[in-house]
Amino acid sequence: MRRRARSLALGAASLALLLAAPSFLERGTLNDIWNVAFAVILASAWNLLGGFAGQISIGYSAFIGIGAYTTALLALKGVNPYATLPLAALLGAAFSFVVGLPTFRLRGPYFTIATIGVSEAVRVVATGVAFTGGSSGLRMPAGSFDFTRNYASMVILAVAVVSLSAWVKNSPFGRALAAIRQDIDAAESLGVHSARYKLLAHALSAAIVAVAGSLFAINFQYISPGSVFDFRLSLSIVLMPIVGGLGTVGGPVLGALLFGYLQIKLLSSPALRDSYLFIYGGMLIAVMLFEPKGLLGLFHRLRRAAGRAVSRPVPDAG
Amino acid sequence: MKDLVAILVNSLLAAGLYATMSYGLAVIYGVMRIINLAHAGILMLGAYATLTLYSRFGLDPFLSLAVVIPVFFGFGVLLYLTMVRRLPRSSSGASIESLLLLFGVWLVLQNLAYAIWTGDTQSILTGYTMKSLSVLGVRVGVPTVAVFAVSAASLVVLQVILRRTYLGRAIRAVTQNRDAALIAGVNADRISAVAFGIGTAFAGVAGSLLATMYAFTPDFGRSFLLKSFCIIVLAGMESVAGVAAGSFLLALLENVVGGYTSIPTSFQDALSFLLLVVALVAFPHGLLGAFGRSSLRRRSIP
Repeated sequence: MRRRARSLALGAASLALLLAAPSFLERGTLNDIWNVAFAVILASAWNLLGGFAGQISIGYSAFIGIGAYTTALLALKGVNPYATLPLAALLGAAFSFVVGLPTFRLRGPYFTIATIGVSEAVRVVATGVAFTGGSSGLRMPAGSFDFTRNYASMVILAVAVVSLSAWVKNSPFGRALAAIRQDIDAAESLGVHSARYKLLAHALSAAIVAVAGSLFAINFQYISPGSVFDFRLSLSIVLMPIVGGLGTVGGPVLGALLFGYLQIKLLSSPALRDSYLFIYGGMLIAVMLFEPKGLLGLFHRLRRAAGRAVSRPVPDAG
Repeated sequence: MKDLVAILVNSLLAAGLYATMSYGLAVIYGVMRIINLAHAGILMLGAYATLTLYSRFGLDPFLSLAVVIPVFFGFGVLLYLTMVRRLPRSSSGASIESLLLLFGVWLVLQNLAYAIWTGDTQSILTGYTMKSLSVLGVRVGVPTVAVFAVSAASLVVLQVILRRTYLGRAIRAVTQNRDAALIAGVNADRISAVAFGIGTAFAGVAGSLLATMYAFTPDFGRSFLLKSFCIIVLAGMESVAGVAAGSFLLALLENVVGGYTSIPTSFQDALSFLLLVVALVAFPHGLLGAFGRSSLRRRSIP
């Protein structure tokens, strides 16, 4: 109970601090915070399905694209962009069922491959049809840009998603997902309706990612299938939680901080920008070979090792 | 009628290449239960290796295979020894760890290609690239026919190795039942290294062949990777004949859609990706399995 009160206080304090930030930080720093918050939302939302339930999907850019296009298309019809967020969430969740209903019959890597196939198909179709603006994209209507409001929405959403993920982890829902991850047959035989839980986790994370996509469209004012349905976007969504620590609450946040920082560095240095795939790939290889539990797992291991080193002299002294 | 012949000829010619690129994926899956996502990167690297050999040393793309095959075989063995072997082995199905590890390798290879060859679109133009000849009354490009011939030859050589040599029998034994093969005295670790080498060499060959027909960038290979998946899911993982049949089926579908329907060409890739998903979901034991033969030797696909 005390632990819960402490994390609640931590969440409230960080939210208050982040919301107050525009009064004392300059615009460039706020932009960086916006980027990191975006990354935290994507990573934590993906982790609901990929981490807690162990269903690795490399196709999440489809949901960013759905959110971004819902907002852009409606805004061009004169709707207030922030009023489109609920619809974006709804459409993201609806599409998650379209993807999930057939593909959740597959297990492990086969599911992963199917998600690559779906997202490539979505990208190809989005580039080919007319209403997305084709390869030239869409521009948001003038006057829809409002950084302060966008910043506040992004930060609130980020804190909300991390809180949600902390709540899910210890709820019966989260335990059902963990059972599915550990042994789906055993979970099924104990009465866990695995398909239903997977679909629910998928819909929840898709809805959140779609809303993040809407905010992305409002902030950048211009979207195209090449930017929002990009395979690389799907890729970094997967990498953040894996590098940080799959299936934990803190891991995706840690990974998002690292990637957000890296991305800011990458954008400012051409030499690094040309080697980002190298960095991403290298991190993925290193994590898989040396510490499949990610940075968080590494910290725990180091702390245990340090704890042993400290406690060892005690019996000698006594 | 003439259309029908054209579609059949074109499908058959495309199927040879598809089978070569899919077999590389199938042999690695069969022996190690690993889905090699780096396959796409190796296809791309094969294309660039051929380009470099052609532009630097004037080596004909088809002759460059003499260099590509041993180099890529060695590269595959190296990948296995330095990385893949270190992963915990799962006996039941493919592990997500190996998939992600090889995904990382793919990204690194892609970046390597960007660093060496830049992101510009490249293509190989030889004296015969634009020439065509007539097969059963259908005009087809000379490179297409040559690619088919090389693919068919490599599959025949492979078939001979698999059927007639100790190595081939050992590979098939490990594919069918790893534990039983170990009991029978097969060195499964060494066979895995060789299989990874063969799979990588086949991907390299396929990449070289693709380079004679298509323009490419370091991003090249993703759609061919998905096509290969589609084929081995349709065909099952074991027999060369099955892979060939699956390849023909996919090529036929693509050609029929291209020839008889008005679906724009830009959507054709989307179609084969969707076919992949449909194939995965509808035929979890492969097409052969769908016809009831799987009850004898059940494949452990999903």
